[in-house]
Amino acid sequence: MRFLVFVGKVAIAMVLALGLADLALRAFWPNDLRLDENFSAPLLTRIIARDDLQKRIVFLGDSALWGYGLDAQDAVPSLLAARGFPVENLSYEGGSIANTYALLRILLAHGVRPRMIVFNVNLKEFSPGDSAYRTLYPAVEQLAWPDLTPPERQRLDRKAKTTLDARFDRRIGSVWMLYGMRSDIREKIFGAADASTALDDRIHALSGEAQREARAHVPTADRFLGTYDLAPLDNENVEVFFLRRLCELVKIANLRAVAILTPTNHTLLHEYIDSPDYAAQLAYVTEMMENAGLTVLDDDRRFAAKDFLDNDHLTADGNVLWATQLARELTR
Amino acid sequence: MTDDEFSRVPSALPPRLALRHDPIVVMLGTSLANPFVLGLVIALLAVAMIVFGPSTDSRFIYTDF
Repeated sequence: MRFLVFVGKVAIAMVLALGLADLALRAFWPNDLRLDENFSAPLLTRIIARDDLQKRIVFLGDSALWGYGLDAQDAVPSLLAARGFPVENLSYEGGSIANTYALLRILLAHGVRPRMIVFNVNLKEFSPGDSAYRTLYPAVEQLAWPDLTPPERQRLDRKAKTTLDARFDRRIGSVWMLYGMRSDIREKIFGAADASTALDDRIHALSGEAQREARAHVPTADRFLGTYDLAPLDNENVEVFFLRRLCELVKIANLRAVAILTPTNHTLLHEYIDSPDYAAQLAYVTEMMENAGLTVLDDDRRFAAKDFLDNDHLTADGNVLWATQLARELTR
Repeated sequence: MTDDEFSRVPSALPPRLALRHDPIVVMLGTSLANPFVLGLVIALLAVAMIVFGPSTDSRFIYTDF
């Protein structure tokens, strides 16, 4: 009996300590300029629960709007925020139209109706060979899946495991914040997926290996062979299907939406995309969005080759130019 | 052995007994006998395991060019 009392007291102390840690996490977790590279479903839920999201311009794009290859403050939504726009950047690496649609479904399901949504349409993601095709980001998939209709689910490859232990793991993560946000905590502390990866990266940097890899990683045209599929677009294409669904959702929710045709490096990709087929794809998606009442900004050819890091990601200076142009459009 | 001879024998307790008398071990034992301290220590270990543990999450592997 004395032993059971002892164990009970140990359990109470442990739960209290972990509960306090969770409270501290909820109270002091900062509002970042953008999502981290490995964000969790509990972090996304926490952001969505914020009261001020209703009054904000929410960016729901891919890596181009997330700010790939740049510090968070150099991404275009952060530059707009610095100019006084009430901006929330919910873009992420690996985004796509299907992801934008799923994320908007999550926002609306939680009663969040942003002042405006801004997303980008990247034609490379309409290619079945793209890594984001038919795929939702794990945290988005976890939150959006219950709200998706059967035809929508059929068009996606579900990544989340449905085994009992995986479901139990997600359940624990939804009630125990510290556990649910472990990937965000590690990213925040180590700047990498975990401590060993951070140590590995450091060793790589010190040995000069990282610099050698960066020099070898020059975006030459041949790397993009097959990135764009210029076959005519139709409803069989998963991204077209979700773009149509997105247009319908924006209309039903009566949202103000701005769609950006992603800046693309035509100098680098000249031999692959400077053709009537590519122009036809752009015209197809533009017409669909304009018919649904969305504002479409054609930034496809707006930037010079010097403004790009690679095929579709702008440099810091390129993002400044982009922010200037977007600021004009958003104040209209 | 006289008392005088005994006092000159170096304190040569067997290792197990020596550890039991080590002040740090004694302090740890006393502290962990308190259930609230033990609960706190277990909670700290759990936090450390979460923070320093390996990432096994199914990340979206972003493949840029």
